[in-house]
Parts: sequence; C-alpha cells; structure tokens
Amino acid sequence: MIFAFEELKKSRKQLLSMLLTSQTMDNFQAHHTGNMDQYFRVSLQESQAGHRLFSKRTPFAFLAVGGYGRGELSLHSDIDVLILFGSKIPGLAKGLTEEIFYPLWDLGLDLGYGTRTIKDCIKLSRDDFEVLTSMMDARFLCGDSLLFLDLIENLKKKIISKRKPIFARWLEDLYQVRMDIKGDASVILEPDLKDGIGGLRDYHYILWLAKAFFDLAEPRDLEYSGKLSHNEYKALKDRLDFIWLVRNHLHQLSGRKNDRLNFEYQEKIALRLGYQDCRDLLAVEQFMGDLHASMADVKSLNRTFIKSHLPKGRGPWKEAEALDLVKGLHTYQGEIRFDSATVILSDPLMLMTVFEQSLQTGYPLSMEARRLVSEFLSLLDNNFRRSEQTVGDFLRIINGGHAFDVLIQMQEIGFLSSFVPEFGKIENRVQFDAYHTFPVGRHSLETIRRLKGINKQKEMLLLDIFLELPDPEPLFLAALFHDIGKVGPKHAVRGAEIARKILERMHYPGKATENVLFLIRRHLLMVETATRRDLNDEKSVVQCARIIGNPEKLRMLYLLTWADSMATGPGAWNDWISNLVQELFFKVLNILVRGELATDGATQKVQETLDGIRRISVRDEGIDPDPFIEVMSPRYLLVSTPRDIVRHIGMAQGMREALKNDTVPVFAFDARENPVEDCSEITFLAKDKPGLFADMAGVLALNSVDILSADIYTWRDGTAVDIFKATKPLDPIDPDRIWQRVRQDLERSFKGQLSLAYRLGQKRASSVLYNHEKSGRLSQVVMDNSSSDFFTLIEVFADNQVGLLYMITKTLFDLHLDIRIAKIATKGDQIADVFYVLDFQGQKIEDEAHLKEIEEALHYQLIQE
Amino acid sequence: MKKIEAIIKPFKLTEVKEGLSRLGVQGMTVNEVKGFGRQRGHKEVYRGAEYQVDFVSKVRIEVVMEAGLVQEAVKVIQEAARTGQIGDGKIFVIPVDEVIRIRTGETGKAAI
Repeated sequence: MIFAFEELKKSRKQLLSMLLTSQTMDNFQAHHTGNMDQYFRVSLQESQAGHRLFSKRTPFAFLAVGGYGRGELSLHSDIDVLILFGSKIPGLAKGLTEEIFYPLWDLGLDLGYGTRTIKDCIKLSRDDFEVLTSMMDARFLCGDSLLFLDLIENLKKKIISKRKPIFARWLEDLYQVRMDIKGDASVILEPDLKDGIGGLRDYHYILWLAKAFFDLAEPRDLEYSGKLSHNEYKALKDRLDFIWLVRNHLHQLSGRKNDRLNFEYQEKIALRLGYQDCRDLLAVEQFMGDLHASMADVKSLNRTFIKSHLPKGRGPWKEAEALDLVKGLHTYQGEIRFDSATVILSDPLMLMTVFEQSLQTGYPLSMEARRLVSEFLSLLDNNFRRSEQTVGDFLRIINGGHAFDVLIQMQEIGFLSSFVPEFGKIENRVQFDAYHTFPVGRHSLETIRRLKGINKQKEMLLLDIFLELPDPEPLFLAALFHDIGKVGPKHAVRGAEIARKILERMHYPGKATENVLFLIRRHLLMVETATRRDLNDEKSVVQCARIIGNPEKLRMLYLLTWADSMATGPGAWNDWISNLVQELFFKVLNILVRGELATDGATQKVQETLDGIRRISVRDEGIDPDPFIEVMSPRYLLVSTPRDIVRHIGMAQGMREALKNDTVPVFAFDARENPVEDCSEITFLAKDKPGLFADMAGVLALNSVDILSADIYTWRDGTAVDIFKATKPLDPIDPDRIWQRVRQDLERSFKGQLSLAYRLGQKRASSVLYNHEKSGRLSQVVMDNSSSDFFTLIEVFADNQVGLLYMITKTLFDLHLDIRIAKIATKGDQIADVFYVLDFQGQKIEDEAHLKEIEEALHYQLIQE
Repeated sequence: MKKIEAIIKPFKLTEVKEGLSRLGVQGMTVNEVKGFGRQRGHKEVYRGAEYQVDFVSKVRIEVVMEAGLVQEAVKVIQEAARTGQIGDGKIFVIPVDEVIRIRTGETGKAAI
C-alpha cells in the first residue's frame, strides 16, 4: 500500500511540474489517468482484503467511471471509481475500500466511489440518467473483466436500447438548463469551461449521444464511423486540448476543482501559455479571443451534430420528401442541403447562394451543408468577393428580417471572415474589461440584430425614426462594419478607411457609401457629445449638427448609437444615458430642420471666416485669436466679417486690460463711417448684464442717433457685442462730437448717473420733430417658443418712433428677460425686431402666463402714446 | 470629518475631478443619477407622440475629507461645475461620525 501511495505522490509532483513548464497538453491526461490507474492496480494487488476476496473466489471489478472513465482528468478533477460485484456485496468490501481509498483522501484528492452489484447499477441508471452517463463512460481497471462486460451488456439491453428517445430528450433539456444558468461561454467574459455552452459538456453530449445511438465505444470512433469528418474530429480534439490545458492551469491556480475562468486568473494563464502583449492587443485579450473562438467551434459542432443525428420530432415539415429550391439546393426536414458537392465545384457562387436561400426559407444549413461550405472556403477568391451576384445576395441577406440568424451561421462556419477578410481580423478581438460582453465579431452581429428587432413598446421613438428611413441598407452595413477598425487605436476613423475598401470591392454606389462611412467614422459622436458637452449651450449642439449635416444621417446615427450600446454590454445603455442622447437628438434635429445654422453653406462660411480671422490677426496684431474664437457664438461667426471680428477681438482685449486696471465702467466703444452702406457703424462691447441693450438703445436715442439696424450677440464668456447701424449723425462736419457725447452718456448711465426714462420722456414731449400721429398700421407682437431649443423668440413689428427700441428693451428688462441675441431692422418707418431671450435663470420662458404677460406688456408699450 | 455630496452636470465631471485632485483629495465615489430642481425637463413631439423627460441626468460625487479642507473643496467644486445656467446643481456638506478602512481596520483621518 505504501509503495503505491508513495508512487502516486511522486508522480503527481511530476505532473504538476509538467503542467507548469510545458505550454501544451502533451500527454497530461494520459499521464494523470495512467498514474491513477497504476495506483489502483498496484494497491489492489497489495491489499489484504483484495487477496481475501480472491481466495474466496468472489468476483469483483474496479471500474473507472465518469470523467476518470473517459480518461479526461484535470489536476483537481473528481476521481470516480466503482467497485462492481456480481450478485451480492460481501462484507469484505468495506475493508477493501478502506485500504485503497482512504489514503487518497489524505493526498487531497476528491475521490468518489461506490460499491454496487450489477443489479444496483441497472436500477440506479434507469432512474437517474446522470448515473447512466457515468456508467456509459465506465472503463475497466482491474479485477474480473467478465463482470464489467456483463454490466455493459445489461446496460445496453435493459436501458439504453429501450429508452433512446427519452435519453435524447434528457440530454437536450440538460443543454437548455446549462444555457439558462451558465450562458454561452463562447461569448461571455468569465466563461464556465465545463458547463457553459461551448464547454466540455458540449463534447460529452456528443459522446453520450453517439454511444447510445450508434453504439460507439471510443471518442475516436466518431471519426471511424464517419459521424465526423477527419477534419472535424481533428479540430474538435485540438479545441478540447486547448480548453483542458486552460482548465488545468485554472485548477492549479485556484488550488481546487474550478471551472469558472474569472478575470483574476485570465491574465496569469495568458502569460503561462506564452501570450505576449503587443501594440494593439494585450496578451490576455489574445488569449481570451482564442479561447472564445475554440469554444464557439465546440458549440457549433455540438449543435450541428445534434441537429443531424437526433431523431426529428414532429416539426412543421411533415414531408420526408426533399423540396427543391434553386438549382443545386433542396430542403429536407427543415434544413437546407446541397444536391451534391459537385454543385459547389461547378459553381462556387453557390457558397453564397446557400445562405441567401437560408434567408428566404428561414431554414438553417444542414450539418453536411455546413461541412461542405467549410471545406470549400478556399474557393473564395477576389472574383467571388467582387461578383455582382454574390454581392447582391449578401446585401439581400443584410436587409432580410432574419439577417442575424444567417450571419451567425456564416460566422460560425468561417464563411463571413473569408468573404470579408477584414472582418476576420477583428472577429475574435476581446476587450479586456467588464464593459464589453462580446468579442468584436459577435458584437457587430448583435448590433444588426438589435436594429432588426426594435420593440414598439419599449422604444417607440426609435421605431418611428427607423420606419422613416427611406433606405436602411447603409445603416445595416455600418452596423456590421462599425468596429472593423479595432485592429488599432482610433478605430472609428480607421474603420471608415477599411470599410471604404470593402465597399469599393463590392461596387457599392457612391452616395450610399458616403453615408456608411460617415456612420462608421462618427459612431461614437452622439454619446461623446451628450456626456462631455453642455447640451444647454447652443454652440455645442450646432457644432454637432454641422458634423452630422442632415436629418437623415442624424436618424441613422441615433439608431446606430443605440444599437451599438445595447449590443456592448449591460452598462453601456440605460435611462441615464438614454436621456442625454435623446435630448441631443432632438436638439440637433431642430437645428438641422430650421436650417440657417447648420447648412453646408453655413459650415463652409464659418470655416472661411475662421481662416480669415487667423490670417488677419497674425498679420496685423499678433493677438492670439483662438481663445476668443472659442467663446464666439455660432450666429456671430456666421454673420460677421473676419475684419470686423478681428477688430472686436482687439476691443475685447482692451477691455480685459481695463478690467485688470480696475477702470470702471468697463466697455469698449467704437464709432465709424460705413461708406458702403452709407451709415454710421457703432460697435459696443461690454460685460453682459440684463438691461445692457436697453441702456445702449436709450443713450443712442437720447443723442438722436436714429438706429437703422442692430445685431446683438453674446459671447460665451459673457461679453455682449452690440453692433448698431445708424443714420449719419446730425452733425456731418464734426461727427466725433456726437460720439463723444454718446460715450459720456454711456459712462454716466452705467454709473447710474443718468436716468434714461426721464430724459427720453422729456425729449419726446418737447420734440417738434416727433411725430405724434399714428399711421394706420397695427403693431404686432409674436411670441415664438418652438423655433429654438435654446431661446424664446419675440418678434415685434411696429411704427418707428424715437426711443421705441429703448421702450421695448426696457419692458423686456422689467419682465426679467435677458436679451442674448437681437436683430433690429427698419424698413421706412416700420421696425421689425427679433429678440432671442432667456429669463434671468438662463432658461426659456415656459410659463404660459408669463408669455402672455410679455406679449400684452409689449403691445401696450407699442400703442402707448 | 465631513462628507461632500455634489450633484453636477455630467459633462463637468472631469473638470471637478481634476480640481479636487489638484487640491489633494485622494478618492471619491461617482454615481449616475437623475433628478430635478428648478431646472425643468423638456418635452418634445415626434410624429405626433410626446416625449417628456422629467428627470434630468446628473452626476453625483461623494467625497469624505477632514473638516479643514471642506471650504476650499466646496469652492473648487463650485468653480469647476458652474456654467451660470440653471441646472448647475448643488453641494451638500454632511458631518461624518466615523471612517474605517476595511482592509486594515484603520479609523479616522488615516482611513480617509
């Protein structure tokens, strides 16, 4: 006993060092199993109880069952042994187990054992299929081999042959339970290597099914009997070896039986297996990518094997007849098949047609069809990829309702990465964080799936937007390729470049191509803008709107943003972010629909203006214009000339300096001739405060400066820029005298030393020039709260009067309104003014009563005498 | 010791975080939250359907510090988070009875 035990201890140590030093499975399992077998055989020979049983001619057999029976032991796997007796269990059995099994517990091995008669085994297996599968994997170790054969015979005759369909159903139910509880291991972040879908149990499922239905004995028989092709079997073994290798390291690192590959182990195992960080991918990301790919293959093989070999239930396809599809394909029992392999050889384009037919019929490819496609992938050359027919079929698939189901098949078989090699490059890329649920390839397909299945109840707005798209095809293509640039950094821009090549290859039409590329290049724009920019600031929204350009692109981008986030992981989309992006969507839409600020012409004009500004400032002043440009509002930049803007910058600069020196009041004032328009131009800069415009208007009125038009802007740093165009001053010989007076009046008004109301009232009363007659035309006040998301608009039409502008603006001030932008115009003796206002808290006026009050108050002023 | 809870606009998070870091504040907890004060949500209409958002998305920052640092921290947060428009948020200062570091069991100032 001692000898066997010591041997076992020694060999386990060797096993451990073998694992830690080599990077492949080599013969780990063979060694491990062999060690255990050796132990049992030798210790049985040495055991006293064993000898006694022999001498009494009581036949018994030691069997390895379960994973041990299959010879698949990992480092800390359970070791399940069965001592089988013929008809009765002798008392000596207890002694036997003590001698042989107890020492193993001291070694820390998880031993499971049973002592049973053949009858016991049959009974238990009949009632519990888990026991049955364990028995099916039984392997003779030592003792009486005839007993073992007897057991197997009985199992087959009494249970398996009679209960095949029930057993098959049990196996599939088990699969569903695993799916529900452990999930699809081929895509989740911390996969369960055994029970997750794509894990070892998928393989065991195949084995058990094959053993029960085809009477196969060894795994190798899967190939020998033709149930799997040579390539398939080899691929399966390779994948399994990889998974077992990972599992062994996982056992060693956890120090116990453990199938859950948690984050903390992933990096260590990646390094042990020889993966190295490279420029674009971490070692752990490459490792997990490979692992996911392996598990995806196992999963795929399991599903097609089961589909092909499980007895069919009563499906909707009652006919056992084959139904012809297009030439070369037919359906049979709910699957698509090729008529023969030569179909593909004579027309390789059939490799795409089969998928297109899968879309049309809704039927999946049979296992045989999948195998054929996979074997003939080498026929996919550039002619295939460029062929009008295959491209047409592919686009049909993308546009179809069941696009996802077909694309998944394409991906699993390897067809998709052959048809689009660029997709193959990023397919298994994993991003090592808790945020991304899927590898990139699967994520892209999931994005398409979301777009196809927008739920009316939960996402009514998105559905409405989707239904409005004249042609969603570019959106689907963008969804498929949006992460194709994840071979390196800046994947959005890079992805657009890569996608361009793909679309060129497909001879995709120009305009639609531009839309696809735009979507890919900008697929992160909305989330970034919504979370990092101030959505209450018109400029942020306008800039975003200019990038997007038109409502159709906006709609597609919003849909892609949503689908991409939903397909990323549970943390990527929730109410919180949905609020922000939706707000951005509506605001950008309004800007794009109203026109003016975000048309192509506007974008270009602003760009030219900016270039002009930089050119002039560099040449003239050496002032750095950029900090000022940063705060300039969109309308201001759109309307003003570069020369004027530079002049204003100079004035603003002067103001800043004055502020430092503590001169009060601080404003910049400039009045000059505008010969082109034959008027005077007065520019006024000051720190904006409510009522500023009113004061300005008042002072000008007081000095009989007749305002023809005015443009009021407010920069984001609070600088008010007021530009007035006025009739030439009363004294053409010495205009400066007037401007001097205006400047002085302004200063006094700012200091509170001038009462404009009183002065203007006086002036009006005494003026002989003042026209006290009303012209018959009615004045009009229009309140507009829908043209802008950022301001309340007030339009005023009335007869021109001295000081009218002052009265209007003063009224607005009294009503606690802050004028941010204004456009004043006169036509003859009529004025047409637009004021963009906010309340003193910086919000639009939402209160109906308040709006009414403003309207009435202004009206009153206008008809006032 | 005091805890500062600040509700701010989402896009201001980076600025506030950097401001506090410069002050020497070592850790913080951040939450995505929704709420409203006097800033009202807004209503949009699209193809005849109304979309009303009542709760505005904000970010909540929680920091615990020694009482002596609070005044400066509040100032830093206010400056960084301010836009001047309604909806800039609020800062709450709350007394803290005890702080314990789970790993080591340290308490009080050393645990902050």
